[in-house]
Amino acid sequence: MSSQADTVALAGQAGLPARPTGKRADRQRFQWSSLALLGPSLILLAVLFVIPVIYAFYLGFTNLELVGPNAVNWHFTGTQNLQRLGSDPTFFLSLRLTLIFIVGSIIGVVVIGLALAVLLQNSVTWLRILVGGIVVVAWMMPAITAGMTWYASTTAAGTFGTLLGMPNSDFLHHEPMLIVTLANVWSQTGFAMLVLGAALRNIPHEVLEAADMEDASRWQRFRLITLPMLRPTIVTTVLLITLISLANFALIYVMTQGGPGNSTNILPLYSYQQAFEFNNLAYGAIIGNVMVLVCAIFGVIYVRASRVRT
Amino acid sequence: MAKRRFAARRLTALAAVLAAGAITAACSGSGSTGSVSTSEPTGSYTLKVAYGSDYVFDTTGFTVKWWTQVADEWKKSHPGGTVQFIPIPGSYNDIVNKLSLLYRNPSTAPDVAEIPTGQIGLWGQANYLLPLNTYLKSTSWWSQFPSVIQSEGRFSGNVYAVDQGENDSALLYNEQMFRKAGLPVPWHPKSWADIITAAAQIKAKVPGVTPIWLNAGTGSGANGLLQGINNFIVGTSTPTIYDAKNNKFVVDSPGIREALSFYQQAYSKGLGADTSALFSPNAVTTPLTAFQSGKLAIAVGSNYYGGNWTKTISAPFWAQAPSTMGEAIIPTYSGTGTASTLGGWDFAIAAKSKVAKAAFDFINIAENEQNSIDAANWAGWVPPDKAYWTASLYTNFAAPYNAFFADITPSATLTPSNASYSVWVQGMGEATGAIAQNPKTTVSQAVGILKSYVTSQLGSSQVEVVP
Repeated sequence: MSSQADTVALAGQAGLPARPTGKRADRQRFQWSSLALLGPSLILLAVLFVIPVIYAFYLGFTNLELVGPNAVNWHFTGTQNLQRLGSDPTFFLSLRLTLIFIVGSIIGVVVIGLALAVLLQNSVTWLRILVGGIVVVAWMMPAITAGMTWYASTTAAGTFGTLLGMPNSDFLHHEPMLIVTLANVWSQTGFAMLVLGAALRNIPHEVLEAADMEDASRWQRFRLITLPMLRPTIVTTVLLITLISLANFALIYVMTQGGPGNSTNILPLYSYQQAFEFNNLAYGAIIGNVMVLVCAIFGVIYVRASRVRT
Repeated sequence: MAKRRFAARRLTALAAVLAAGAITAACSGSGSTGSVSTSEPTGSYTLKVAYGSDYVFDTTGFTVKWWTQVADEWKKSHPGGTVQFIPIPGSYNDIVNKLSLLYRNPSTAPDVAEIPTGQIGLWGQANYLLPLNTYLKSTSWWSQFPSVIQSEGRFSGNVYAVDQGENDSALLYNEQMFRKAGLPVPWHPKSWADIITAAAQIKAKVPGVTPIWLNAGTGSGANGLLQGINNFIVGTSTPTIYDAKNNKFVVDSPGIREALSFYQQAYSKGLGADTSALFSPNAVTTPLTAFQSGKLAIAVGSNYYGGNWTKTISAPFWAQAPSTMGEAIIPTYSGTGTASTLGGWDFAIAAKSKVAKAAFDFINIAENEQNSIDAANWAGWVPPDKAYWTASLYTNFAAPYNAFFADITPSATLTPSNASYSVWVQGMGEATGAIAQNPKTTVSQAVGILKSYVTSQLGSSQVEVVP
């Protein structure tokens, strides 16, 4: 008799429930047959995602050029591009501008999106549909169209200047970072409003009614009940807005092409400029690698923030 | 033990992925070899022809019309051949990027391509292009090209591309505004100070108009410099932008300072356009409409202005242009000569083309009188063959501008054709943009912007200061 059977028998004698034998049903088990079903997806994922990403990462450590002597005969150059990155003032300017753009966009999008969601929740139906529709249309607009709209509105003879009684003002080129950030906020707010509005509707009425019975003010209800319950949704929204903003190349490219000078040259534009205007594909790739790291850092921060319980 | 096996498997899988990446990299990094055909291909074959479909010619309709007419003519003498067009949409950078990618693989490289002058050196040195020296000996037109145009495709003794058409620059001015301001018509400025004086007088006597258009900023890229400050730099006693002998870019020279000083004077006196117009990506063509609407008095403009105002091109159509708009050369800094940049588009054949002879025949047809002048008229160029400059088909298309700009061509100066020129362009764009946006920017500060940007991008070993 096996020792396992002895143990079970002893447990039974002591009045304890017998421990189940065999494989546990509550644990996931690996079945080799599933490989056949997962195979095509794994191959596609490897070919279209994993290998290109690794390849792009590798390119950042080469001297590959778009044209010129190193366009065909290129090779691994170790940390040469990293060293260049460390002494490139335009890169550090670009990194700083990227952070300003992202943080400004997050604050603007979440605050305005949340305000709209809260205000529209209690508004009359026709107003909710009208305002919600307008905001969502702005969100659905392609980045190029949004960029053109803001370009036309914020340069001389544009809507902004005309409304403010300064038709010849060139807001875009005098406050470029502020204007492109506002344009991004304008185009992303609809998304935040939709997501946060849906989350607002999921807050149980009983909780809010209980707060009412306790004579809580509106601000107290919002600060102590609504906001904490929205926290996971806000964190998700912030994460998504970060990723969308970092990938929003077209908006800034249409509006300023990274200028005047380098004043709106955020990392995606600087990567493009190096790769396709200065022909340095490898250096453009390593700036792209930095963007991946920036995304990863923001991702970790948000995931940690979402785990914190109030 | 099982965990260790699993870890080993994961390592193997990772190694396989990395190996695949390395193999892909190795394949991408190696160029294949092939033989170049110098004889007529036999049987049926395809000739791949790449061109800019939106940007190079004045209209898309003319683009299609011109390439089709050349292809039809070519097909008559090449019955076995089929032309496969590769139209490349988008602007200058899009065309350059697409061609760069096509050239990376011999199987995708177009047999014939329309390429910008500024890329010939790069692509020639990258062994993308076929030297045409042997073929050119048998043509009637090559010897008619002025030496400056012949030299634009020549690197290390090899001619990698031949010109399709050229752009050069001069001053265009509104004669009615000049008369109103009490300025002489026709106007012949003898110095840069004369230009500033005229613009200041326009500002004083003709309110509500922009006195002078000087391209500035980074928005228009290399075109903004070709039709802007480079015209002044090449008109000084130190005109060098790229020192080919030492492989260095000039970031400070008396010429650069003189040109920036001219810009600084113009913008500090409030004679230039506002930043909304200057920093627009379409800035270089803004004077065309600004002149037509009576909002601009003088522009450092290009040869294509006159053609664009014709009914044929209509970009925009302005019937009164010849009676309203005068033209004058840009004087050199010393006032003793003509200053102008030169840049255009060229034909090149892929280095590994298997139908190189047929490809050159295509270029040969494209360079004949009818096709060359049609291209010049429909794309806004000076034709490269000086024998065509007096042909009525060309001069009458946009009189008096076409003949005027053709005469400037031999004394014009080519822009650099080097991989790093775009960095210098960005640096100079930032310098001129700073002056236009903040006229308190001094010449030394503007030079500092150029110097620090180019040095930080290329390294101090690739820049030089000319005393």
